[in-house]
This record gives sequence, C-alpha cells and structure tokens, in this order.
Amino acid sequence: GGSFGPNGKALYLCNPFVRSALVKGSFKTIVTLPKYVDQREWVAVNLFDFFNNLNQFYGVLTEFCTIHTSPTMSAGPGLDYTWIDQNRKQVRLPAPQYIDYVMTWVGGLLSDEATFPTKASRDFPPTFMVTAKHVYKQLLRVFAHIYWGLFGWLVHLCAEGHFNSLFAHFIAFGAEFELFSFGEFRSSGNSVGGGYPGVCDLIE
Amino acid sequence: IQQRDKDADYVYFERSTQGMSKNTLDAAMGAKLKLEHFYKVAVEQAIERSGRRVEVEKRLATDTGLSDDRKSRQLQALGRRESGFLRLRRTRLGLDDFRTVKVIGKGAFGEVRLVQKVDTGKIYAMKTLRKSEMFKKDQLAHVRAERDVLAESNSPWVVQLFYSFQDSAYLYLLMEFLPGGDLMTMLIKYDTFSEDVTRFYMAECVLALEGIHKLGFIHRDIKPDNILIDAKGHIKLSDFGLSTGFQKQHDSAYYKRLFENAATGNQNPQQAGRNSVAVNSINLTLSSKDAIATWKANRRKLAYSTVGTPDYIAPEIFIQQGYGHECDWWSLGSIMFECLCGYPPFCSENAHDTYKKILAWRETLQFPDDIHLSAEAEDMIRRFLTSPETRLGRNGAQEIKDHPFFAGVDWSTIRSIDAPFIPALKSAVDTSYFDSTELDHIPQVPEGADVDNDARKDYCFVGFTYRRWEQSFN
Ligand SMILES: Nc1ncnc2c1ncn2[C@@H]1O[C@H](COP(=O)(O)OP(=O)(O)OP(=O)(O)O)[C@@H](O)[C@H]1O
Repeated sequence: GGSFGPNGKALYLCNPFVRSALVKGSFKTIVTLPKYVDQREWVAVNLFDFFNNLNQFYGVLTEFCTIHTSPTMSAGPGLDYTWIDQNRKQVRLPAPQYIDYVMTWVGGLLSDEATFPTKASRDFPPTFMVTAKHVYKQLLRVFAHIYWGLFGWLVHLCAEGHFNSLFAHFIAFGAEFELFSFGEFRSSGNSVGGGYPGVCDLIE
Repeated sequence: IQQRDKDADYVYFERSTQGMSKNTLDAAMGAKLKLEHFYKVAVEQAIERSGRRVEVEKRLATDTGLSDDRKSRQLQALGRRESGFLRLRRTRLGLDDFRTVKVIGKGAFGEVRLVQKVDTGKIYAMKTLRKSEMFKKDQLAHVRAERDVLAESNSPWVVQLFYSFQDSAYLYLLMEFLPGGDLMTMLIKYDTFSEDVTRFYMAECVLALEGIHKLGFIHRDIKPDNILIDAKGHIKLSDFGLSTGFQKQHDSAYYKRLFENAATGNQNPQQAGRNSVAVNSINLTLSSKDAIATWKANRRKLAYSTVGTPDYIAPEIFIQQGYGHECDWWSLGSIMFECLCGYPPFCSENAHDTYKKILAWRETLQFPDDIHLSAEAEDMIRRFLTSPETRLGRNGAQEIKDHPFFAGVDWSTIRSIDAPFIPALKSAVDTSYFDSTELDHIPQVPEGADVDNDARKDYCFVGFTYRRWEQSFN
C-alpha cells in the first residue's frame, strides 16, 4: 500500500500525515467518565462506538487487504499476531481472515444480551471489565495492522486525518480506563516498544 | 518548527484514487461523513449531559430542606437516568420494538401510526417515509431538514422527535403522539370557528412560527394539516418536510417542477390543448360555491396526495425571486381566512387554478358576503395576504402581536390557559380525534419493511439514527 516514507520510516509516522487530524484539541471532554454514571455503561457504549467506527474504516479498506497483500496479521517486522482457535491453539492467519474473526467475535459479543445487556432489566456480568479488555486488545491489533499495512490507502482517500483522530480517541479512552497496559509494552524490549511499535510512537 | 519538520521526515505523497472501485470511494466518503457526525454529536451530548448535571446540583445546593441522604439519592437517580440513556444508544431499535395500535394519518411519503414501545409501554406517533419514493422525488435533503428541525428544537410549539431508525425500505420517525388530531380535521368537523376561537389558534401559531423563525428556519408549508392538537387542546407544529435552514440546500427546484407540471398540464396533452383558452379565462374573481364544494369534498384526498395542496403557499415562493420568513405569515393569513369563512381564500377545483389565483391575489382575494367579519379580523387577513414588502410580520412577530385583532391576548400565558376545545380522551391510545375511515386499507406493518439493516449502504442518510434524551426516562 505504499506505506513507507524516506529512510524506510513508516508513512503514518511521517509529516504531514502524522499530524493530520479531524478533531483538534484534547479528547478529555468525551473520554472522562461522566459524574454519577456507571463506569461499565460508559465503557460499553464507547467500545460499541469504537467497534462501529473502526469497522466502517476497515470496510473502506477491504479491497486492499487481501491474503496476497496481507498474508499475515502484522504490525511490523517480526510483529505477527496469532489468533487463538477453539482448541486454544495459536494459529497464524492472513490479516483479512484474522480481522474478519475479530470483527465477527466482537460484533457477536456486542449483540449478546448476557455480555452487553441492553434490556432495562439486565445487569452487566461480573466479568464485564475483563471481556472489555479482551475486546480492546483485539481492536487495537486491527488499528495496528491498518497503520502498518494499509495507511497509504487512507492517505490516497484523504481519510488519514479522520483515522488518526479515531485512533487518538481510542488510545485516550484505553489509557483512561486502563483497558491496556501501555507502560508495560513500552519498556519491554527495544525503545520503540514490544508488540505495538507504531502505536507506541503515535501515542507520544 | 515547520522547517525542521520538513527537513526531517516530510513526505511528498501524491494522492490518487485512480483504479479504486466506486464502492471503495463511496465507502470512504460515507465513513468520513459518519465520523464527522459522530464527533459533532459526541461533543454536543457531553455538553448537554453536563448541563443536566449542573442543573440538578444547583437545585440541590439551594434546597436547604433536603437531607444529605436524600440529595445523594437524587444524584444517584440522575446517574441511573444518564446510564440508561447511554444504554439506549447501544440498543438496536427496529420495527419489532414497537407495536402498532392504529394507522392515524397519511402523508406524501408514507403513513403515521399510533404505536406502543413494547418494553416500556410508552406511546408514540410513528411516521414512516418510503425511501424509494424519496430517492425518486429527490427528497433526501427534505428528510434531513425535517429530522434536523424536529430533533434540534426543544420548543413547546414543535412536535418532539424521540427516536429515528431505518431499514432498507423505510425511514422511521418516532414522535410524541398528539391525541387531539389536527386543525384540518377540526375545520372539516366545525366548518368555521368564532373569532374568539380563531384568535386563540392564530395567537398560538404566531408564537410557534416566531419560535421557528428564531431558530433560523422558515416553515414554508404551514397548513391546517400540520397544526396538531395536544391533549390539552394547545397546538404544536409538525412536518418540517419543506422547511429549510438559511443554508438552502434543496429548495426551489421542488416548486419549479410543481409549477411547470401544472402549467403545461401534466395529464392529457389533448385535453391541455382543448382547455388552453379556458385556462386563461378561468373565473379569477369569484370563489364560486361549486369550487368550494369540490374543494371541501376533496380536502382529505388533497392532504394525502404527494403534491399536497398549494392553497396556503405564498405567491413569492412560486415565482422564485427569493423569499424570507414572511412567507409563513401569508400562510397564516390563508389559514385564518379558512377558520372564519370555511374555505381557504384561493380555493379552486384544481391545483393549477389555485396557483393562478394566488399569483393574481390582488384581483382574486374576495371576502364572502354572507359571513360577517369584524373590521380587525378582515384587516389582519388583508395585511397578511399582501405583497411581502408590506406584509404584517416582515419586521418580526411583535407587529402581529400588536395588531388590534389580538387586543387582550396575554402572550406569555397563552399556552397554559384553557384551550377552546379540550379533547375528551378516554385513554392514552384514544384515536377518536383522527378520521381513519380512508385509512382502513393500510396494513398495520408498513409494506415491505424489513429488519435487515445494512447500514453501510445508507450513508445518504448519515446521522439519521437518533435518540432523544427523554425527561421521563428511567
Ligand atoms: N405526532 C403526531 N401525533 C398525532 N398525529 C399525527 C402526528 N404526526 C402526524 N399526525 C397525523 O398524520 C397526518 C399526516 O402527517 P404529516 O402531516 O406529518 O405527514 P405528511 O403530510 O406526509 O407530510 P409531508 O408534507 O412531508 O408529506 C397529520 O395531518 C396528522 O393527522
């Protein structure tokens, strides 16, 4: 997808694209838990929106994300994600298939009354925040793969500012509710960070 | 700083969408629009939410009679309502969440039904708009406008919109149900009103239109069918189908076509030819009894037709030389005439003659001999049914309120006084004020509605899905 700038630096980290944004300013007003509101309800509706918005953008890119162009679910050299199948075995999948699994799985959870209740009478399960973290992590991987492998197409479509803002919002939200331990992977391994190199650079 | 950026990693990237499929380009456009809308709404909702909280906190802070315990319970209750509202956003509303009680109305693009939300038992009026019809008629912007005005106004004079959703065949608008019916039905029933009764409805309409104009909108299509009556007998305006913000995106082309169709005679060319002389010589000076009778007999059918009735539309809208909010005051003048005389001032046997009469208003405006109007009433109608440059209301609603016809009206309390007709309702779903004799054939469930919602196809209706904060929400 033409995703590299000069010196082999990833395109999404290059100017001017790394700076382009739809939403200027801080995400604080729309990230912070509103006073007196149930935190799980807030996390649930935000994951719901992140999923729908990300799905929307991935839908734009399906033409370019094929098993030939993206044979692995990758976020950079040596950074392949594996999917855990029904037998709890780690499997390598081409990115489109991996992403399809993620989106189907998350979509299913979101419409599952037992996990994401919508009826007035139902409460969240005790494991809700654990599930939320799993969901967050998988969505983060989809973001990471799009940044790594498909960002050039977003630039061609003049959508990089939109996508950057969605991602910045996603990260701000994850940090606020500790859905992901960003500190952990930042210190592990090299200075760029372990599992999510570009992601890590973009946070700064 | 800029220089350093450029030195370091500035990339010149030639954007090109060559070779990309139309699907991808459409999807990209849709995704961007949706995200823009998403952030606009997210910020608005955050502001509204904190507004509601500050209001409750302020009220509790000044209330010395309430124990701390009670106060904290009230704040918890607020939190529960807000949480419930967030939950509603995740809830996929669909047709099966509502049970139809009865079909109560019909409009150009679909029907209006009285429905009950299955889980809460709450009652709404559901307006259905057929997408295919709207694509055909180029009315997408129209729906957008309708929804925006309804959704964004908190005016007590405007029918509130609570939810909207769509499927592949229809758009659905869930509004508050106004059980008193509409002014058209009332006029059909009573024929004419006394001046006192007319004064009440006109005064409420003046306040309603003033509110809409202050929001920056012109209604343009105010007519008795769009003046709805609430449970206490007060009015609210519905149907912003043709209203437009000053940003005029859709506008005059509609009337242009309407007028051209009428002018060229849209049915039988032979007939048009035969009538070409007669068309010019139609009786422009008299509202004959026959015309009135035909008009009355067809009143309801006119309301149900796609073109609608032109009876209340101001002349400057037809000639397309621009118009302002004063066109709504013309419409109000026509309605007032009808309330007092029993038929609108330019009524004819067909729409084309009505256009011609409206354009020739100087010659065609005639008050009936057999009905006595007070001098104030007649003067007000004449000051409305006149050219826009001299029309009453062009300098704001105050000059209308100051007209002698309205002497004695208390403008600040009118919505809370007793209305002249208070609907006698037996239950929350009483539909006796709706004449549904001609709606019997309409099925309970909109024909061809489906539950399969492929939202990705629908970006032309981006932002259509809507949930309103309901006071009574719990
Ligand atoms: N909220 C409501 N409560 C009760 N009745 C309603 C409500 N909205 C509409 N109705 C009834 O349905 C009729 C038709 O509705 P409406 O005027 O909104 O549709 P319309 O004429 O199709 O609009 P358009 O001008 O877009 O074609 C009204 O005259 C009224 O009798």
